[in-house]
Amino acid sequence: MSGYTLDDLRTIDEQCREVAANELGFDVPDVVYHLVRPEEIYFAAANGLPARYSSARWGAQFDEAYGRYQRGQDRIYELIFNTRPAHAYLMEGNSLVAQTLVIAHCLGHGYVFENNAWLGAVDREIMSRVVSAADRIADYMGAHGRDRVEDLLEACRAIAVHQSQAQLISKARVSEPVHRPRPYDVLFPAEVTADRQRVETERAALRQRFPREPQEDLLGFIEAHARGLEDWQRDVMSIVRSEQSYFLPQMRTKIINEGAAVLAHQEICQRLFLPADRYWEYERLNAGVIQPHPGQVNPYNLGINILREIMHIARDPDEEERERWSWAGQADPFEQVRSVLSTYDDEALLREFLTPKVCELSRLYAFEHIQQDPRKIRVSSREADAIRDVLIRQHTTFGIPHIEIIDADFRGRGDLLLEHQHEGIGLDDEYARGTLTQIALLWGKPCTIRTVNGRDTDAPVWFTGQPDGSSERHDSEPEAS
Amino acid sequence: MTVVSESGLPHDAGRRDAQHHRDRLRKKITEQLKERIGEEDIIASGPEKKVRVPIKGTKRWQFILDRGQGEGVGQGDGEPGDVLGPGGDAAGQGEAGTEPGEELYEVWLDMNDVEELLFSELELPRLKPKSGTDLEAAQTVYDQIARKGPQLDKKSTLRENLLRNAKRGHVSLGGIDKPDLRYLSYRDVPKPRNRAVIFLAMDVSGSMTVERKRMARLFFYWCVQFLRSRYEQTEIVFVAHTTEAREVNEEEFFNRVESGGTKVSSVFEAVQQMQRDRYPAEDWNVYVLHVSDGDNFAADNQRTLELIRTLTEICSLVGYLEVSSSSGGSHKLSTYYEREASDLDGFVFAHAADDRQLWPALKRFFVKDDVETAIR
Repeated sequence: MSGYTLDDLRTIDEQCREVAANELGFDVPDVVYHLVRPEEIYFAAANGLPARYSSARWGAQFDEAYGRYQRGQDRIYELIFNTRPAHAYLMEGNSLVAQTLVIAHCLGHGYVFENNAWLGAVDREIMSRVVSAADRIADYMGAHGRDRVEDLLEACRAIAVHQSQAQLISKARVSEPVHRPRPYDVLFPAEVTADRQRVETERAALRQRFPREPQEDLLGFIEAHARGLEDWQRDVMSIVRSEQSYFLPQMRTKIINEGAAVLAHQEICQRLFLPADRYWEYERLNAGVIQPHPGQVNPYNLGINILREIMHIARDPDEEERERWSWAGQADPFEQVRSVLSTYDDEALLREFLTPKVCELSRLYAFEHIQQDPRKIRVSSREADAIRDVLIRQHTTFGIPHIEIIDADFRGRGDLLLEHQHEGIGLDDEYARGTLTQIALLWGKPCTIRTVNGRDTDAPVWFTGQPDGSSERHDSEPEAS
Repeated sequence: MTVVSESGLPHDAGRRDAQHHRDRLRKKITEQLKERIGEEDIIASGPEKKVRVPIKGTKRWQFILDRGQGEGVGQGDGEPGDVLGPGGDAAGQGEAGTEPGEELYEVWLDMNDVEELLFSELELPRLKPKSGTDLEAAQTVYDQIARKGPQLDKKSTLRENLLRNAKRGHVSLGGIDKPDLRYLSYRDVPKPRNRAVIFLAMDVSGSMTVERKRMARLFFYWCVQFLRSRYEQTEIVFVAHTTEAREVNEEEFFNRVESGGTKVSSVFEAVQQMQRDRYPAEDWNVYVLHVSDGDNFAADNQRTLELIRTLTEICSLVGYLEVSSSSGGSHKLSTYYEREASDLDGFVFAHAADDRQLWPALKRFFVKDDVETAIR
């Protein structure tokens, strides 16, 4: 250990909590800190959850990230899990200043975990389930061979993100068509008969359709309806699906969550270290955390700039801002931030607060990939409106295409037909085909998806994946062969 | 607040999963090598020359939008219209435009690696010790427990201690002393020599098209590689046949082009003769592998099978591989064997329509499992 004890860390946590509660109004429940070797922190990060089931996937992720760490290209300072209590990992060997920053940072996360409506939808008692799932998967590996279970896990993970994303919103059901009598029906008997017939046919068609309504919970549907699965296979599917549901709300609150954490560490550390000599070390670390990432968006950077903008509007708005926000100039800055942290997700945050000022502060630009060389990008705009559009498009879906199962008896042969509800851009050819082979593995029969070709929304394409791993592309609807 | 100095994770779980990951990679490489054993660059690899094997099946599949059509938001310099490199700057490196969840694995393998990966699955079946005329250099085996030795054996030591205590009336461990100490020790075991000869017989008649000959030679190439890497002392006899068979050298076997009719019995006659003259069954494990397109002179089939029957009595294995694009056909040898010899013990036949079926064929002949049950 680098010249401090666990007790020193406890003292620091107390000091941080005092500032958080008194100055920021952040009341944070207890966080369990683990002081661990770098290897362990990287492994926990690769797993996504502590004590998760054993899998080669985590090993691969661990190898990659830990390799970068050993080459000096990467350094995780902190890792925190949204469980109850929250578990955070501190890296052994970091300086006391770094640990202080991390502890203060975690208090920001802890506040958001506890208060944000979206994160509140997470089952925070997940750890007992995670541990029992790990045991069961180990049993299945023993009984059916590790490879078989790993293949199944891999296939499940390929589609686990496709579940109901808006967990707070339930979808209206498709209603059956009905014949509506009209005042002058008696004058048009032929039309009335025709309409009754239409309603009957449509109803019959609807009743024959399975699923009746498009299903966006791909893994859930397959788990419930695929034939010939053994119990353990359904159990593995349900484990992967339910663990993924823990991550979805975090994906939707990444910017807001990191913004809150940076705000917490900045406010706390400025008070703790000023005017002490360790302030400069703190400043250097802080600058590293929030520096922009060229070519992408650093959520720490964008998050803190937006929250600071909100505080600024609350404290010292200009005319335009005063008109736009009723609370401008009249609210307590931290109170305003707390209310945003409690009720917003990233999409709402960006919609309302990605102002031209924030764009300039974070030096944001919108870009397009260059088709001939997807590794290169062309800057398309520095206008806030354009940037906001792109960012929001990404954040409403987290970059996950919207996919639905529309027919579980495609071509009358029990094949699965999916549809990509595109928003102007089709699916990637190679990845669609690969993913479909994974779905076919789960479903046990060929699986087809309908999407569009690139940006040509008038050109539908179909991809089919087979359980044996082969796949095809079709430019017209594939027929039963 | 709680601070603990442990992760709550199983110790070394990270390394274990990383090992599982590497095991999976290794299996995938092997699977791919098997499909590619027909490819020029694999064969051309040598101790110095390495071959690049991209590993399929390591991508983390997911639905993503068309990569050529992407858009995004970045941070940093640049005016509208500027073209930036992957890292968001003209020369940089970084993430923009790279694939999601992409793991790029390619390995460079030389012939030794290829052999190591592939041949561990193969074995010369029914290899028996033959008359102990000459013994190979003795092997050192650590399987002795002794009072002296290079390495303490804890289990035996504890057992001795328990025994000694029990003799004195109390059944428990404790008071381990010098008389209890047991060591792992070694002895020299003379290893009997499993001498083997393998006859590689190829049909080089006119009906063997260029493509069929290529496949036959490819098959034999891997046989030879396998035998030389795993069974150094095995003798290989090359036999080529049309309507008559003759022994050829390796160079000729792999390169010469011939043509003419086909009489398969000729090859087994020749093999039988050579075996009787030069490789008596009491001294040698004998193997015969014959490759043909199966277009035999029909009246010769019965004679051929009789010879095979005789050979199976003294051979560890008689194998037949039919290379042709279609399997079966009433006039084919395989059809005849299927009908007449499908339960002949020690006789194994296989069919390969393309290069990818060569590996399964090799595996049928050089089967590693318990031979008696694996060979039908």
